[in-house]
Amino acid sequence: MRIDVRGEVCPYPMLKAVEAMKKLKGGDEIVVITDHAPCLETIPPQAIRYGYDCEIDQTGSPEWTIKLRPKVLAR
Amino acid sequence: MSVSDPRLPYLWVFGMAAGFTLQRSRFCFASGFRDLYLFGSGRIMKGILVGVAVATLGFAVIMRNAVPFPSFGALPPEAHVLPVGVTTILGGLLFGVGMVLAGGCISGSLFRSAEGYVGSWVAIAGAIIGLGAMSQTWNWWWSLALAAEPKLWLPALFNLGYGGAVLLTLACVFVAYLLVVWWEARTGVVPVKSTPDPRPEVTFTQRLMATARRIFVKGWSPVVGGAVLGGLNILMYSVHMPWGLTGELSRWANSLMTSVGAEPPVALGLSAIGGCAARASEATGFFSHTFAVTVGLLAGALVAALFANEFKLRFPRTARRYFQSLAGGLLMGYGAGLAIGCTIGAFFSSIASLSVSGWLFGAALFAGALLGTKVIQRIA
Repeated sequence: MRIDVRGEVCPYPMLKAVEAMKKLKGGDEIVVITDHAPCLETIPPQAIRYGYDCEIDQTGSPEWTIKLRPKVLAR
Repeated sequence: MSVSDPRLPYLWVFGMAAGFTLQRSRFCFASGFRDLYLFGSGRIMKGILVGVAVATLGFAVIMRNAVPFPSFGALPPEAHVLPVGVTTILGGLLFGVGMVLAGGCISGSLFRSAEGYVGSWVAIAGAIIGLGAMSQTWNWWWSLALAAEPKLWLPALFNLGYGGAVLLTLACVFVAYLLVVWWEARTGVVPVKSTPDPRPEVTFTQRLMATARRIFVKGWSPVVGGAVLGGLNILMYSVHMPWGLTGELSRWANSLMTSVGAEPPVALGLSAIGGCAARASEATGFFSHTFAVTVGLLAGALVAALFANEFKLRFPRTARRYFQSLAGGLLMGYGAGLAIGCTIGAFFSSIASLSVSGWLFGAALFAGALLGTKVIQRIA
């Protein structure tokens, strides 16, 4: 699942990522695309909470993709 | 104040440094309060508390030099000792809701404006309109409540003196810090360690480059940001006055209204109040002190954003977000007008001025931010 939250500011990128993690319940990978640096700090702790691994790639300046992988799938 | 005012260059430097620090540490008061509710994170609130503690120590020394015997009844000039009463609570509530709606308080929206967030421009415009509305209605609030509200200054209360007042303030900050840690433990939020930089750090040049990256490219921790901002606030006060932002924005609102023939009435009681309100009545201009710290903030944040490659024009994606920013800005502006300052002037600088008003405003901000959080959870 792809969530494009470019243009959105805190707390919406994090809220939308959490919403997706809750909905998918670890069934699928989530890719968050953002240009809001603060959510690089707010999304990872939530990923841990919902059982996801988190990988951040800088894809532009400023633009990042945050890959959220369910821990269950990775095993 | 004129071009030859020797304090002006200092205030520009400190104002720019504050903007740089805000951007680097992503120091957002709105998220400091909101994130406690939203996901149990006290990261930024801890930074805010550290900043308040640092500023308190420096402010006490400055105030002690100005007023050695606090029990005589005189307040130190320029200290942000503001009226305590229903206006403090109402102002804090409005401001708390507004900053969460707008996604940033005044300082947050200013530094985000410089990073290219168009939504923050709208929030600042809303705040200027809100402050203008307060200028038009100030005298009503003055006769209703403000005139009778006491200015409670800790060093003059219960024979506390400076030592007692500083100890009491630091103890309260420490208890607040413990509460934040307890809250984090209760909600179970896990701090995430940043991944180490893979680039080697062996030679002199590599070490130098790594240090430069830590300052100019990577984000600073909020605790570092808070401590630096506390230090800068002391420097600003040592030159002239504590850090505050809404005074300048009020002046913009007042001169705008005057230019279209809607000049606000002469505000009652301003000379007796001080803080950001006293600034609002002074003439505005490029060479004023408040202009230096407010516009300096924008310049510093822009420089920081450019170094870190984080400047980008970012437009809100829906019309709803524009309304949200505008409404949040309006609430913040009117609330800051009523409480005589924002999270900087009426909270940060006010607690450090050993004033009771800062604590009451902070408590009201907490309540307002909770309300605001409930609201934004309903606005997808």
